[in-house]
Amino acid sequence: MGNQSLLQAIMNPLRTWARVNSPFAIHFNSGSCNGCDIEILATLTPRYDIERFGIKLQGSPRHADVLICTGPVTRQARDRLVRIYEQMPDPKFVVAVGSCGISGGVFQGCYNIVGNLADVIPVHAFVPGCPPRPEAIIYGVVALLNSLKQPAPKAPDAEAVA
Amino acid sequence: MNIELPPLVALLLFPGGLFLLSAGTVYEWADRKLVARFQNRIGPRWFQPVADVVKLLAKEEIVPDGVNPVLFHGLPVVALVGTLTAALYVPMAGIAPSYSFTGDLIVTLYLLSLMTLSMGLAGANTLDRFSLIGATRALTQLFSYEAPFLMALLGPAIAAGSWQISQVDAYAQGHWWLVLTQPVGFLVALVGLMGKLELPPFDSPEAETEIVAGPMTEYSGRGWALFRIGRDVELLVGLTLMAAFYLGGLANPIEFMLKTGGLLLVTAALQSLFCRLRIDQTVGMWWRIGILLALAQLFLLVFMR
Repeated sequence: MGNQSLLQAIMNPLRTWARVNSPFAIHFNSGSCNGCDIEILATLTPRYDIERFGIKLQGSPRHADVLICTGPVTRQARDRLVRIYEQMPDPKFVVAVGSCGISGGVFQGCYNIVGNLADVIPVHAFVPGCPPRPEAIIYGVVALLNSLKQPAPKAPDAEAVA
Repeated sequence: MNIELPPLVALLLFPGGLFLLSAGTVYEWADRKLVARFQNRIGPRWFQPVADVVKLLAKEEIVPDGVNPVLFHGLPVVALVGTLTAALYVPMAGIAPSYSFTGDLIVTLYLLSLMTLSMGLAGANTLDRFSLIGATRALTQLFSYEAPFLMALLGPAIAAGSWQISQVDAYAQGHWWLVLTQPVGFLVALVGLMGKLELPPFDSPEAETEIVAGPMTEYSGRGWALFRIGRDVELLVGLTLMAAFYLGGLANPIEFMLKTGGLLLVTAALQSLFCRLRIDQTVGMWWRIGILLALAQLFLLVFMR
């Protein structure tokens, strides 16, 4: 037992360090107006160069650690969003970008809207704004990564999807 | 430089095993950093590839439905083992190869191809459509660049009169740089190396804007980490081979660093200069131009000797 805990004492900080320093992201639009998506694309340009923090945009959900979501969840997109989320390997995190992902925004109460992102999948960080600036998106992701450094990361309030 | 190492040290510490893994990640970082600087970015930090690999090793590995689990878990290991073994036959870090025999040039080239072959099979093993398209593209590309690359590396071997890497290296050290006497072969070999590593002009097998991630789409965690390390080691071995053959041989570690670094600079520049070729353009380029250039040089060499 003593041996195991020694190994864990070495490995756990190493694992956390690697997770904090190498978040691969995937971007999903579940029904936003594309305003936030344009800002996310601007975040990926050489001007902001998020590869400095090790953040890379990946095509495959299997490769990603962070799901960057925009917009409210439409009835059409709900199943796809859940599927993308479930395809990601653990540990996985979700960042909601934009006002619509937080509360439904201007789409709140529409006939074709299920609700905000936290109604459908657990969300770890919210970035407010309509749309948020690239600096705000980077700040949101960095805040999420800093929360990983705490010994016991806070569990998301939202329920996992059934 | 000729140093006798005990076999266990040669296999596990230097020049095999640990040295290859760490040097491979350093070269991946240098490659990414150079490309970033060419794109006017700051680029990743020096420990970025290590953090990526450690994170992937600590992640959950999902085995998708419909795959053969033995192949799914075995192919990344085969790919990594192939490239690690290939490194034993090249003058790594300017030290004479740990193992050497007549014809080891051919063996090394086969071992390097094992990586691409494993990736193709790994893609074909899953039911995902993107993996399948990526796998066909990877294998098509393998068949297009392999012949010209082999012929381009045979040029120095014919000039040296030996198919043994250490002897070609020794010949290159004693003569003019072969890049001056065989410029066409150098060009074909350099572009062939970029095709082998699936670097940007030839990255249609894993074109992330069209087919997600190619053969690697269904791989998460450990398998993908092993393929990534394998790619890094292949980059290192390929650069070493090129520098030993065409850039006047590798006599000591300083020469090794300077020459492979210079080659890396050229490949990084080419990566950021050109956009991705379609798979038919890649194949057409190799079989219409590459093979003809390599053949012409080979005939010239054979008749001029």
